[in-house]
Amino acid sequence: MPAPNPKISRDDFESLVRRSGLPLSESQKSELYGAYGYVEAIAERVRAGGKRPREVEPAVIFKPAAKTGGAP
Amino acid sequence: MTSIPTIAGAAAAIAEGRLSPVALTEACLERIDRHEAKLNAFIRLEREGALASARAAEAEIKAGRRRGALHGIPFAHKDIYETAGIPTTCHSKLLQDYVPARDAFTVARLAEAGIVMLGKLATHEFAVGGPSFDLPWPPARNPWAREHFPGGSSSGTGAAVAAGFVLGGTGSCTGGSIRLPAAYCGLAGIKPTYGLVSRTGIQPLAFTLDHSGPLAWTVEDCAILLQAMAGHDPADPASAKVAIPDYRAGLDGGIKGQRIGVIRHFFEKDMTVAPEVGAAMEASIGVLRQLGASVRDVTLPPLQDWNACGWLILVTEAYTVHEPWLRTRYNDYGKNFRDRIGLGAFFTAADYISAIRFRRELQEQMAKVMTEVDLLVLPTAAVPAPRLTEVGSYSSFETPNFTMPFNVSGLPALALCNGFSGTGLPLSLQIVGRPFEDALVLRAGHAYETATSWKVRRPAL
Repeated sequence: MPAPNPKISRDDFESLVRRSGLPLSESQKSELYGAYGYVEAIAERVRAGGKRPREVEPAVIFKPAAKTGGAP
Repeated sequence: MTSIPTIAGAAAAIAEGRLSPVALTEACLERIDRHEAKLNAFIRLEREGALASARAAEAEIKAGRRRGALHGIPFAHKDIYETAGIPTTCHSKLLQDYVPARDAFTVARLAEAGIVMLGKLATHEFAVGGPSFDLPWPPARNPWAREHFPGGSSSGTGAAVAAGFVLGGTGSCTGGSIRLPAAYCGLAGIKPTYGLVSRTGIQPLAFTLDHSGPLAWTVEDCAILLQAMAGHDPADPASAKVAIPDYRAGLDGGIKGQRIGVIRHFFEKDMTVAPEVGAAMEASIGVLRQLGASVRDVTLPPLQDWNACGWLILVTEAYTVHEPWLRTRYNDYGKNFRDRIGLGAFFTAADYISAIRFRRELQEQMAKVMTEVDLLVLPTAAVPAPRLTEVGSYSSFETPNFTMPFNVSGLPALALCNGFSGTGLPLSLQIVGRPFEDALVLRAGHAYETATSWKVRRPAL
């Protein structure tokens, strides 16, 4: 699957590059701008369209003691 | 010595005095001398150190002080594992002169077990850059077909073990970097449960997804290696304080009565696989049924969800690790690394927090399914090893992989050979278990492996 076309404008992308502090050449900027569609597509899927319930928190959930009896 | 032994086979022969660790090490070195230039598996060969270590092992064993199954076994480390006094380059210009003062926790554990360390193995740059031709060392090649990708990022380990340069090696895995080289090189490789094996002294890529584990020719060999590597390390904040079972002793229990779930929608709906991968998967399911397991399909969130979550976390955490150098030495990284991890500059804090909240949702879905079955199975890779030139900077974003879900969930996942393509490239089955049930995963893999004959075939170099 080729990179989806970025929705961000080139000017807005340039401002993100400046904020990042990365010393990109013009060709490097073009390369990353061409791949920016992946950033947008991945973030969109992860954000779930803003429909994730507010109470979902990021805690890690392993409970190894339940199976092994050896957890701290 | 004409044939390449397994670790288990060599250990038995050494224990009985039929095999000398020095002769075994010399045989490996001779094989390296003949074929390494074709495969680029090593970044650094420690010839004299290995021979000295082999002689010391032989003397200890003759004196009645054999340490166990790994004593005198030729081995090598992925070059992101720190080795005291020996350069640890991460296959990068940025660290080409870096000589650590300490061994990684696992390097020390394996040394205590008596391995003979032959050297440091190629990797993707900092374990993520992909096969690259613009780094100080060339990319490793696949011993089954040298124009093909050996998988990565533990590419040198896959190549070296498949070629018989060493009998086992270390890998690290953030999204598939142990299982994919195992798959493409016809090996067994286990990504243990998150927290089972310490990452202290291993170059971090993405803290909350990073795992350490072994690759070897057989599942039994992986069990032997995991025994030495697993265990609590107070210096690794993710290290779990759990009892470590005898992995090798548990191998022969079989899988009769085990409930196995097939994540069929991953490889039939969410992602298409090569016809021979699908056929090998169905044949493998048949073998597992013959071994007495009950098999049924299970449903999880789409494969694309797991990959989006995993890649967002990976890229942003890796960017955080490398940001100071990316701002000051951007062009000292290879293009593949820059292209992949440079994107980490553009995700927001809200994106990252959304990803770790999403991970918890996904983990809960996985935990629910794992109350209904004991093990999961699916292919390790959708296709046999592609050509090196077919692996681009953004390959990982273009197509989801079957390995990332178990980095996101932290579950133990084993890759093992389940056939060959029409062109002679290895195919691979992935077996997954509940957290800290690595022993059951290994037992299932061993049952499958000993019921089939795939391990008879070695690559012709």
